[in-house]
Amino acid sequence: MTKLYRYHMFGLVVVSDMVFPELAPGDPNKEPDVSIRQGHVAVDGLPGGAIQGPFCYTTTEPKQFWLTVPEIARYQVNEGREIVVDPFPDVDEASIRVFLLGSCMGALLMQRGLLVLHGNAIRIGDNCFVCVGPSGIGKSTLAAAFLQRGHDVLADDVVAVNDNCEAIPGFARLKIWQDAADQLKISTEGLRRIRPGIDKFDMPLREGFKSSPLPIKWVYVLQVHNQQEFSLQKVTGMDRFTPLRNNTYRFRYLIGMELKPRHLKLCGELAGKIHLARLRRPEKIFKLDELVDIILADVAAHPMQH
Amino acid sequence: MTGGIFWLASYPKSGNTWFRAFLHNLQADSAEPVDINEMYTAVIASGRGWMDEIVGFNISDLTEDEVERLRPVAYRWLRHDKEISYLKIHDAYTLLPDGEPLVSREGNLGALYIVRNPLDVAISFAGHMNCSIDRAIEMMGDREFRFGSNGKKLPEQLAQRLLSWSRHVASWVEADGISKEVIRYEDMKTRPLETFTRAAAFLKLPTERKRVEKAIRFSDIGELQRQENEKGFAERPMRMERFFRKGISGDWRTTLTPAQSEKIIADHFTMMRHFNYIDEHGQPTEV
Repeated sequence: MTKLYRYHMFGLVVVSDMVFPELAPGDPNKEPDVSIRQGHVAVDGLPGGAIQGPFCYTTTEPKQFWLTVPEIARYQVNEGREIVVDPFPDVDEASIRVFLLGSCMGALLMQRGLLVLHGNAIRIGDNCFVCVGPSGIGKSTLAAAFLQRGHDVLADDVVAVNDNCEAIPGFARLKIWQDAADQLKISTEGLRRIRPGIDKFDMPLREGFKSSPLPIKWVYVLQVHNQQEFSLQKVTGMDRFTPLRNNTYRFRYLIGMELKPRHLKLCGELAGKIHLARLRRPEKIFKLDELVDIILADVAAHPMQH
Repeated sequence: MTGGIFWLASYPKSGNTWFRAFLHNLQADSAEPVDINEMYTAVIASGRGWMDEIVGFNISDLTEDEVERLRPVAYRWLRHDKEISYLKIHDAYTLLPDGEPLVSREGNLGALYIVRNPLDVAISFAGHMNCSIDRAIEMMGDREFRFGSNGKKLPEQLAQRLLSWSRHVASWVEADGISKEVIRYEDMKTRPLETFTRAAAFLKLPTERKRVEKAIRFSDIGELQRQENEKGFAERPMRMERFFRKGISGDWRTTLTPAQSEKIIADHFTMMRHFNYIDEHGQPTEV
């Protein structure tokens, strides 16, 4: 019989026939919520599915998601309960895991009815803030800087939000580029590369991910501009909705799985409960300490009641 | 499906943004000039967020070579759109190892290539790269030049192969199997109506005289500078003081040293001759 491993992420107990060194062990006494297994995934998409992009299909009934990452693996995510992985020949396991823990987990969490944002969640006391923004804007670097200041990182890249507008702790790792590690004086010696050939590392996190879901009270939309200084601009009223919608993790997955109405409702509810601000940083120059201070000061100035 | 891409291709600092301002004004045909910060044609060819959305996974977890192999696939996907896309691109026209052009053959409606006298490009390029003119001339002469990263962090733009200035021009104007139209920056200056009308016709845009004239007026360098002064220009790299600089031809005559212009002419003789920037003796012409 295939050996099964048990893990814990996003509040779910996962059983898997693949090893995930990034994940924490799962409670052996609980019924598993999700299974990850290697098996056959159709080469040409989902029968009767809607094509969402060159590498992606979805179906609504049942809720299924199909993704090919060229030369790495085909994945199928079923009903929020199962991820099937069909690797290409000779591919390394780290590469298979990166896209499973990113895109596939994002799709699975959506199928489970959660609001999934593209960003990270950082603990502040018994609450948290979420920082959203496009790839390359410096979200993970910022999360690492907060970690150094003693704040737990609840989730990185994929932030799952439940019906109570709480962020669910994801898993205990941060993906950090060599340059960011250098800037923060973090040694990458002994850290695992996320994939062979890429100077980006898995940085293990402390205990933050073990906490229960924490209320999101603040959201920062990280952007760059061609000015020399940081700028912080509070967004109020209904204008808080659009940045949440725009920073949804892979919006086209949602459209395909007919999850959009529910998603927009959750965005609306969250928008009504948070302090939201646009935080623009100078391009190139990335004064991390100053950025952390700006966020901490703004958080302190807006003690939100949930 | 009526979608697909018309590429607005050029070496950097050759009038691409100016042309895009014209194009947006021509499409909008409104009473006021289009806001220079609302030109969507800039974002896609080398932007990464857009590509994440199309492919459905984080391309930041891929190597530069892997990303390059995905670019044609992502561009091809745009043929599913309902409308034609007009996209700026500074990459040279290159083929991937499997023979597929970077910009894909499928869904590729054609390329408008804008060429500018490299003697003037060198000055603007130095400003753009925040380097000396000598260094800019060196980059323009580097046969394998590329914008890219050190591989240790995530650049906001994808790696782009520019090659040398001459190879860049040749790659597009001699590209096989795609429809092409070539215009000179200098002709956009001296014969605007004729030049812009020719470009508009190629791009399947309106060519009605009054409309073209208005779009030319609304994208005049004076208007672009006025808007940049007033509210800034989001596409300006931070290292540059201003994006819309002089917008003139022949600036090199008072800016370059004789050694610098001779070096450029020596590096790019054939292509400069082809576009009549020099005569058969290598002497600069009056364009």
